[in-house]
Amino acid sequence: MTANVFLIQILNGLVYGGLLFIVSVGLVLIFGLRRVVNFAHGSLFMIGAYVGFSISLVAGFWVGIVGAAVALAIAGALLDVSVFRPLRGQDPIATVLVTFGLLLILEDLANTVWGKETHSLPLPEMLSGSVEILGQPFPTYRLLVIAVAAAVGIALALWLRFSRIGLFVRASSVDPVTTAVQGVNTDRVSAVVVAIGTGLAGLSGTIAAPLLALSPSMGGSILIESFIVVVVGGLGSFSGALIAALAIGQIHNLGIIYVPWAATMVPFLLMVAVLVWRPTGFAGSHV
Amino acid sequence: MSRATMNLTAGRLAAPRLSHLSWLLLAVAVAVGFGLPAVVGSVLVLTLLTQAVIGGMLAVGVGFLIRQNGVVSFGHAAWYGVSAYCIGLLLRHEVLPVEAALVLALAVPTLMAFLLGLVIVRVPGVAFSMLTLAVGQAFHEFAMKAQAVTNGDDGFAIPLPDTLFGLPISTVQQPETMFVLCWTLLALVIFGLYVTVRSPFGRLTEAIRENEERARFIGYKTVLPRAATYALSAFVAALAGLLFALYNGFVSPEVLHWTLSGSALIMAVIGGSKLLWGPALGAVIFFFLKDLAGNLTEHWPAMIGVTVIVVTVLMPAGIAGSLAELGGRLRKSGGRA
Repeated sequence: MTANVFLIQILNGLVYGGLLFIVSVGLVLIFGLRRVVNFAHGSLFMIGAYVGFSISLVAGFWVGIVGAAVALAIAGALLDVSVFRPLRGQDPIATVLVTFGLLLILEDLANTVWGKETHSLPLPEMLSGSVEILGQPFPTYRLLVIAVAAAVGIALALWLRFSRIGLFVRASSVDPVTTAVQGVNTDRVSAVVVAIGTGLAGLSGTIAAPLLALSPSMGGSILIESFIVVVVGGLGSFSGALIAALAIGQIHNLGIIYVPWAATMVPFLLMVAVLVWRPTGFAGSHV
Repeated sequence: MSRATMNLTAGRLAAPRLSHLSWLLLAVAVAVGFGLPAVVGSVLVLTLLTQAVIGGMLAVGVGFLIRQNGVVSFGHAAWYGVSAYCIGLLLRHEVLPVEAALVLALAVPTLMAFLLGLVIVRVPGVAFSMLTLAVGQAFHEFAMKAQAVTNGDDGFAIPLPDTLFGLPISTVQQPETMFVLCWTLLALVIFGLYVTVRSPFGRLTEAIRENEERARFIGYKTVLPRAATYALSAFVAALAGLLFALYNGFVSPEVLHWTLSGSALIMAVIGGSKLLWGPALGAVIFFFLKDLAGNLTEHWPAMIGVTVIVVTVLMPAGIAGSLAELGGRLRKSGGRA
């Protein structure tokens, strides 16, 4: 295998890692502020893919992407008000169980509305071609996925660093009690933060849709992969999730090429290894 | 300070003796199991009950972990499935006499769970749930991908021997007799867990569940007991998987899939895990509701989703817990009058 082909594979790994990052960072933001894990996050990714699919059939691909992100952000705000807020005083396990119930409901909803057969989202013409990189053809659309992931990462980093809510999220992820004592009203900012987190799930679902087959059960596997990212990176850690997502994207992709029989196991083994070494993940628990 | 940690501080870990009542209850439970097939009569109901009891055993394992360690596993199908695959593979390759294979099929998942437990019980509760889901799915992926060993997605039929412990193999294949066996084992498991939670070991794990830091400060090791509890709950799940494999004579990756872990968890939540038999009650309710709903609607998953949410929010102790509470209240008001 030549160096050029290897580089193309690195790019492919970056596509998957980028997608994983957009999904996982939504979980990270919500955990940072609320200290809960949303088990319906993968289902929101799946619903986002379907919503984007339906909108894009009517109004075109770009409107589909934006529409899915906005629709899921609104759903996220509702989720915060109706689930996370009422359950905030209770054991976080209660939220886990309630969002697990939501997962079952959302999968059934997708089954009912869009049917069990798989769909695929057609690409607009300008994106369906390929460009030449180092003498190798590379699908244009995959470059777009990398670009969107990079844009989301930079925008979130700036938002966390320079906005007021970003400051609250960072503070809360380090020490929720002291942050509350300082007068930060978690409830007031969390609808925004959860909306952004689920909006990103919707965005990543639509962006992933042309690469995957749409089916109601697609949320399960992405949920598990993003859990690995979040646990390996350190719960609630923005930079940890970035590093872990990119690493798992590469490992996943290179694994399929070099050790196909073990490819799906490698991320799990990596996770167990990281936990033996550091039970809190790469980055502890800071945003 | 909770009762459990107070007992620890005072060094009072000695267990109270088992009452005669608990032995009597065990005997009654076993007798009921032997009597039920004659009363029920319908093979269809008995088949459903056998499934419910095997599912209930898995749920009891999940519930025991919730009760003793205060953590929720989304991956107990792993131990259920590893046990089923173990017995399947051992019998397929005829490496061991069947009785030894049965023992090994229980020992392997239990030991694996103990080793994994040493790593994963150290993470906080929510992360534990995420990890068990991921690890459970890793087993499923392995069974799908290791075609040469497991025959992948298709699974394989288990070549069962003609006799098992001297009994004809039909004993474990017909619902009339298999129900009695599963029911008796479930009663013994619940009794065994009851003895465990009342033992010094059970009280120690409860204390750790209430306040891990305090238990450590008093001088107890806290990782080992939690890993052992995890292994014990995995053993119960493995026993359920073993019974499933014998009853069905077939294994496929479905027995490792996370939806099975999820169903077991749902049974434990509906029944309530504060009482050891709660999850088993939850399993019976789950299977009969599912059978009922199957004739009426295609929206079973959504129905069960709504049920989980309603029970979690309105009835955190589950149905068994609420029943016990009601019973306690009635007894109290009766005593006053």
